Amino acid sequence: MTDYGHELLFGAFITPTAQPVHQAVELAVVADRAGLDLATFQDHPYLPRFHDTWTLISYAAARTSRIRLSGNVLSLPLRQPAVLARSHASLDRLTGGRIELGLGAGAFWDGIEAMGARRLSPGQAVSALGEAIRVIRAVWDAERAGPVTVHGEYYQVEGLKRGPAPAHDMSIWVGAYKPRMLRLIGRAADGVLPSLSYLEGGPGDYATINQHIDDSAREAGRDPGQVRRLLNINGTFSEFGRSFLNGPAEQWAEELAGLTLEHGISAFILASDDPSAIEEFAAEVAPAVRELVAAERA
Amino acid sequence: MTHPLRFGALVTSVAGARRAEELGYDLIAVPAAPDGDDWTLLTWIAGHTAKAGLVATGLDVARGEPAMLARAAASLDLLSGGRLELALTGAHVDEVADIVRGVLDAGETGPLRYLGEHHRVPKAQRGPLPAHRIPIWLSGNDQRSLRLAGRTADAWVADLDVIDAGELATAYKLIDAAAIEAERDPSEIRRILIIGPGLGPDDLTALGADTFLVRADEIPELTAWETLRDAAGPPIFRPSSVRAKRRPGIDYDGVPASLAGTAVEPGDLDYARVRSTYMRGGAPGLVLRPRTTAEVVNALAFVRRHPELPFGLRSAGHGMSGRSTNDGGLVVSLAAMNTIEVLDESRRLIKVGPGARWMDVAQAIAPYGWGLSSGDYGGVGVGGLATAGGVGWLARKHGLTIDHLHAAEIVLADGSVVRASATENTDLFWAVRGAGANFGVVTSFEFEVYDVGNVGFAQLVMAADDPAELLVKWGRAIEESPRDVSGQLLMGPPRPGQPAFAQVMAVVDNDDPETIVEQLQPIAAIAPLYQQNVVLTPYTGVISNAADGGYHQGAGEPISRSGLIEHLTPEFARAAMNLLASGAVHWFQIRTVGGAVADVAPSETAYAHRSANFSVIVMGSSQRRVDAGWAALAEHFDGLYLSFETDLSPARIEEAFPPATLARLRELKHRYDPDNLFRDNFNIKAAKR
Ligand SMILES: Cc1cc2nc3c(=O)[nH]c(=O)nc-3n(C[C@H](O)[C@H](O)[C@H](O)COP(=O)(O)OP(=O)(O)OC[C@H]3O[C@@H](n4cnc5c(N)ncnc54)[C@H](O)[C@@H]3O)c2cc1C
Repeated sequence: MTDYGHELLFGAFITPTAQPVHQAVELAVVADRAGLDLATFQDHPYLPRFHDTWTLISYAAARTSRIRLSGNVLSLPLRQPAVLARSHASLDRLTGGRIELGLGAGAFWDGIEAMGARRLSPGQAVSALGEAIRVIRAVWDAERAGPVTVHGEYYQVEGLKRGPAPAHDMSIWVGAYKPRMLRLIGRAADGVLPSLSYLEGGPGDYATINQHIDDSAREAGRDPGQVRRLLNINGTFSEFGRSFLNGPAEQWAEELAGLTLEHGISAFILASDDPSAIEEFAAEVAPAVRELVAAERA
Repeated sequence: MTHPLRFGALVTSVAGARRAEELGYDLIAVPAAPDGDDWTLLTWIAGHTAKAGLVATGLDVARGEPAMLARAAASLDLLSGGRLELALTGAHVDEVADIVRGVLDAGETGPLRYLGEHHRVPKAQRGPLPAHRIPIWLSGNDQRSLRLAGRTADAWVADLDVIDAGELATAYKLIDAAAIEAERDPSEIRRILIIGPGLGPDDLTALGADTFLVRADEIPELTAWETLRDAAGPPIFRPSSVRAKRRPGIDYDGVPASLAGTAVEPGDLDYARVRSTYMRGGAPGLVLRPRTTAEVVNALAFVRRHPELPFGLRSAGHGMSGRSTNDGGLVVSLAAMNTIEVLDESRRLIKVGPGARWMDVAQAIAPYGWGLSSGDYGGVGVGGLATAGGVGWLARKHGLTIDHLHAAEIVLADGSVVRASATENTDLFWAVRGAGANFGVVTSFEFEVYDVGNVGFAQLVMAADDPAELLVKWGRAIEESPRDVSGQLLMGPPRPGQPAFAQVMAVVDNDDPETIVEQLQPIAAIAPLYQQNVVLTPYTGVISNAADGGYHQGAGEPISRSGLIEHLTPEFARAAMNLLASGAVHWFQIRTVGGAVADVAPSETAYAHRSANFSVIVMGSSQRRVDAGWAALAEHFDGLYLSFETDLSPARIEEAFPPATLARLRELKHRYDPDNLFRDNFNIKAAKR
C-alpha cells in the first residue's frame, strides 16, 4: 500500500479533433463547467486531422475560466524545449496559473520523422527528455543571474535569456511506462502520466511504475512524494457492474479510490469525447472518490 | 489591383485587443515578444475577440519545424474563424514559407515532400485545411528579402522606426521588379507599415501602403483616417496564382455581385471543400453558393449564359449518379440554404431548405415528437432526396418522403419563382415529386410530418448458407409483417473459407418493447443468428449516423444499378445470388417499400412504381461487368428508383417512369424547361411540338 497523500485531481482527456472545429474546445468548456480540475489533450502533430495541441490549449484556456490545462502529452521531438518553456510560462501568466506541462519523449517515430524531425532510439529519447527538462527549468528560473546555457547531446542552448517564470510552480508530468523513463521521472520530473489502456497487466502494473520512480527518487535524494502519480482512464457508465470501470458511478468511485489507496494514484483523467460522460465523471465519481479517500486517510 | 485600406493596432494584452476591436480596427497585431511567447499571446487574444484579423508581426521561424508552424497556423485560423495572417521572420524564411504553404495546401493530393538546403520534410501529410487562405507576410529591408517578398509573399511589412520614406520607395521598387520578373502583378502584394500615432491622412497616403499597424501606448481612434477608409477598393481579391487555375469558357469576372463573395474557383482554398461529393471526386470550374432564393435566381441567370458547360445542382452532395459535381463546369451548391423551421405546429407543418441534411431535420423536429422518414443515412440532403422519392426507415408505415410534401418553392429555368402544391401549379407539384431535378431548383420544401415516438431498431447478422433461400424467406417475412416494420438486407459476395452471412436491419415503428420483439420474431427466425442487437431508441438514434464537420472527399466512379420488384421469388433470388457470386458487384442491398408507399395511386406523383414491395440496389466498379450481370435480373423488375441508379442512358428514364408518366413529364418539360437547362441528371427530353 502506497499513498503519497496528494490532493486528488480529476480531468478529461479530450481528442484534439480538427473536425468539427470547436468540438475539443467545447468539451473543455463542459469539463470546466462540470467542475473537473484538468482538461488535457493528446498531441500527434503528424496527423492533420488533429489541431495543433498547443494552439488548441491556448485557445481553450481563453474559453474556460477555472480549469487547468495541459498536453497529455506533448511530443518533445517536434517541440523545442525553450519554446515549450516560454509558451507554457506565458500562458500560465495569462491564465493566472492554470497551465501544467505534460511531456512525452515521442511515440510513432515514422510520423515524427515525416515532419522533418530526427528519429531517436528509445534510449536516446530518454536522454533527450532529460536534457529538455533541464532547459525548461533553466528558462523558468528567471530569478537566476546570467543566461541559460545547456550543452547537451540533443539540445544545445547558448546564452539564452531566462524567463518568463510561470505564474505558479508548474509541474512537468511525463508520459512513461518503461524503467529508464520512470527513473528519469524519479530524478527530474513532477509527475508520471501513463494510460490505463497501455498497462498490459491492468492497474496492478502501477506497482512496478511506482517502484522504479520511488527508488530513483530516493537515489537522487528526493522524496518520492514529490512525484505525482496520474492515470488516463477509460471506461463506460452502465447500469450494472460488468467489469473494471464498466458499471455505475458508485462502482467507478470505489475502484478509483482503491487505486489511490493502493498505488497512490492521485489524478484520474477520463478519456472521453462524450459530454454526458464528462459530466457524470465530475458530478458523480469525483466527489465520491474524494469522500472515500478522505475517510481512509483520516 | 488595389487592396482596401486596413488599420491594425499593435497590442500586448486582451484589453488592448478588445479596445482595438471596439474602435473598429481591422487587425490585431502582436509584436515579437522579448519575453513570453507571441504565438501563445495571439491565440489567447483570438479566444477573447470575435472579428478582427490576427497577426504576430515577428513570428520567429526558428521556433519549430516549419511543418509544425503550418499546423499551428491552420489550427488558429480554424479556431478563430478564418482571421489569421502569418508574418514570418528569421533564417531561411524562404524555405519555411514554402513548407508552410505546402502543408496548408490541403487540396493537393499526396503528402508534402520538400528537400531544401536547410529544411527537409520527407513526407508530411497536408492539412488541416485552414478556414481561409492565410496570407503570408514577409519582412526585411535588404535586397534579398525584398526580392523574395516580390516573388512569393502576399504581403511585405516594414517598421517606420527602421525605414524612412525614401528607403521605402526604393524597397517598393525592388519588390515590384521582382514581382514582375516572377510574372506576378506587383499590386497583389500588400504593403504593410508599422507606424506611430500622430500621422495625418496625407502622411499615410504619401507612404503608399495599404495596411497601417499603429504602435501607441493608447490606441488612437480611427476617426482621423476615416476618409481614407471610404475609398476602399474591391473586397474580393484573387492573386494571379489562383486565377491561373481558372477553367476555359467561364465568365469568372461576370459572376453576379451577390454571389461573388461566396463563389469558389479551382485555386481557392475552399475548393477542396466543395469540389467533390460523397461518392465522387470532381473538378468543377466554378461553384456558386447562393444563400437565398434571390441568389439562386442570379445563379441560374449566370448558368443560362454558359449553355455549353456541364451544370451540376447540389444540395448535400450525396447523389449517386454524380451529377452534383463535374469537370470544368458549373455547380450551384445549395448547402447554405439549410434552415429548418416549424411553420404551423398544430398542422405539423415544417419548412426545410434543400441544403439541410436529414439527420438535422430529424433532430430539429424530434422535440415536438415528430418524425419524417427519409432514407437510411443521415448525411443525405433534403434537396436530392425529396425531389426523387425517399425510401426510408419508416417507409412501409408512412410512405415515401415525397408523400408528405405539402408545397415547394421552385426557381424555374427562366428564373421565375413559383410555388407548387395541391392547389398551386399542380402539374409542377406532381412532377417535382419524383422528377424534380428536371424542372427547377427547389429552394424550400414544406412537409406535413407525423408523430414518431421511440422505435425498435434491430441489427442482425444471419447465416446465409443458402443465400437465395434466405432472400426468399426474408421477402416473405417482410410482406407478412405489419406496416410498423421496414428495413433492409445487405449481402456481400461469398468469401472463400468464411461462412456466408447477411446483414439484416429493421426498424419497428412502435414504442412497446413487447410488440417490437413480437414483430421482429418472424424475421429473426428465418435463419440462425450470428449477432443480434435490438435497441429501443428515438428515431434520431437511427438516422443520426453521419459525422459532423468535415467535407466530402469522394473519389472514383462507383457504378450502381437500381430495380424495383414486387416479390422476391425463388427465380429472382437465384439470379441475384449468381450475380453476387460472380464478383461483379461489391454488395447487394434490398430495401423495403410497399405498405403505405402503395397506398398512393401511381398517377398521383411522378414516382409511379408504387406496387413494388422492394427496392434493389447493387454497387460495383466496372460498368461493363455490372451491366452484364444486371441484365440477367432485368426480367424480374418493374421499374427503378432514380436515386440509386448511375446509368444515365435514356433506357433508364423509361424504366424509372412508366409510359403515361413519362409522356406527361415530357409535356411538362416542354412547358417549364424548353431549353433544357436542367439536363444533367437523368434528362427527360421535352415533348416535340
Ligand atoms: C450513403 C447513401 C445512402 C442513401 N440512402 C438512401 C435511402 O435510404 N433512401 C433513399 O431514398 N435514397 C438514399 N440515397 C440516395 C439519395 O436519396 C440521393 O442520392 C439524393 O439525391 C441525395 O441528395 P443530396 O441532396 O445529398 O444529393 P446531391 O448530390 O446534392 O443532389 C443529387 C441530385 O439531386 C438533384 N437535386 C439536388 N438538389 C436539388 C434541388 N434543390 N432541386 C432540384 N433538384 C435537386 C440534382 O439533380 C443532383 O444532381 C442514399 C445515398 C447515399 C450516398
